[in-house]
Amino acid sequence: MDDESILDLFYERSEQAIAELDRKYGAAVRRTAANILRDRLDVEECTNDTWLGAWNTIPPQRPDPLVSYVCRIARNLAVKRYRANTAARRNANYDLVLDELEECIPSGMDVESEIECRELTAAINRFLETLGREDRVLFVRRYFFAESVAQLAAMTHASANRTSVRLFRLREKLRNYLQKEGLAV
Amino acid sequence: MNRDSLSDAIGGIDDRFIAEAYSHDPEAASGPSERIVRMKTKRMVSLALAAALILSLGLAAYAVGSIHLARQQELRQDLKVDENKAGSYVEYTVPETQEPQGAVLLSAVNDGTEERVYVNVSPVTEEELAGFADGASRFSWSIEGYDLGGFAGPSLPVDLNLSGKEAIREALLQYAYDAETQTATLECWLTVDSFKKAMEALGTDTVPLQLNLSTDAGTRCFGTIDFALTEEQSRSFDFGPAVYHDEEYDKDIEIVGLELTPFSAVWKVHYEGDALLHSPEGDQQAGRDWLLLEDKVCQDARLVFSDGSTFSTGGALTTPYENGTVKQYCGWGSAIDINDVQRIVLHDLVLWEAP
Repeated sequence: MDDESILDLFYERSEQAIAELDRKYGAAVRRTAANILRDRLDVEECTNDTWLGAWNTIPPQRPDPLVSYVCRIARNLAVKRYRANTAARRNANYDLVLDELEECIPSGMDVESEIECRELTAAINRFLETLGREDRVLFVRRYFFAESVAQLAAMTHASANRTSVRLFRLREKLRNYLQKEGLAV
Repeated sequence: MNRDSLSDAIGGIDDRFIAEAYSHDPEAASGPSERIVRMKTKRMVSLALAAALILSLGLAAYAVGSIHLARQQELRQDLKVDENKAGSYVEYTVPETQEPQGAVLLSAVNDGTEERVYVNVSPVTEEELAGFADGASRFSWSIEGYDLGGFAGPSLPVDLNLSGKEAIREALLQYAYDAETQTATLECWLTVDSFKKAMEALGTDTVPLQLNLSTDAGTRCFGTIDFALTEEQSRSFDFGPAVYHDEEYDKDIEIVGLELTPFSAVWKVHYEGDALLHSPEGDQQAGRDWLLLEDKVCQDARLVFSDGSTFSTGGALTTPYENGTVKQYCGWGSAIDINDVQRIVLHDLVLWEAP
């Protein structure tokens, strides 16, 4: 079923909308949550909460593209749950993703400030515009979807080590870009 | 710095980039499972060879010696060392018998900017190796007595197509692990320049390379191997320069030359304003079309071999500006026969042709 038809079902308040959404984007949503959360039960609850989030916001929203909308809800919920989890249930992979991100943010930048956080998002979006498609996909899959280096290596048909080097270069590029944009205090 | 806010900032990435990443379908872009089948066949051949070796070496040598020899044989085939006459590949003498613990140097290749080093490490449990798929286990190398280190990872067949953590876990255990001896085969990447600096600082011709594994339980070192840089094999092409006009961006770019090794390439290009664009003051947003055109040269150019087959060097990993040109470094998995290149073309433009 295409996205427009699924959205129509939401607007008709048909519960079939959730079933169709799950059929089409369930794998993507579960994968997004599983990359951030370790516990399978957490992942399933996060997925159900994502469908509930979509149900509560469509209408009035009519998101396009729909996949970005549901993946963003899933990621936000997974990150929220990740923060609430005890250290024992944290996910080493997502910690590593955050470590990598920290190293490419210019020192002195205060991302705790909401304004700077928004500025950082805008700058990252502009930075992504300057990348070739494959580099951009690699960046988004690693830092938005939190996919492991092994998964990315499989996607790009490169070794995990080559992929790590490529990610390192991308972080260097981002760091330089943010400095040029004057985001370092 | 607040990691939560950082995570939130990344969470605001534009919808179209998320959709693009989601819709990027590598399986559609690559062939189906024939490659995996071929690798399995190759592995069976390797195992047959290993079995023959076991007979010649005697059962006492089997415990670990065979896995080192078998892995060397697999790597030679996977990297197409003999098929494409890769002179820069070096294989080391491996012990035929030893305690099944520690690090054993198998082989190495210098691709000009990076040195790939293959090692067997043990003991590694199945769980530890499989944990690499979701980031729970991380392998690394470091230099004893010098502040330098980097990633290492299980060595998988170059052309293997995988999707999903489960498939990756299975492949790790199938191709990079020997359960009997608890041995994992790793690939380490070392930057040649950093390596030279380390040798200089240590005042030696070799460096003590340590192989490590980090998990939730902590970090442990498998052992240290003395490693020396190997020689690279290269071939240079001078294009004149050739001028390529791109319709999409309506721009002319000069393609100055190409430095080729069996595993890597450096494309040298030049265009108006390239020095400024690649300087710290360069405006990448304004120069976006140039950056994408640079990438297009590496991706769209084709090396044509004597049998008519073609090869693309793929997108650049890094693009520094040096000595009046932008140098675009590209790399790939299996060797190509650099002495068999007959033509180099970029769409309709012939950059070079064998006399």
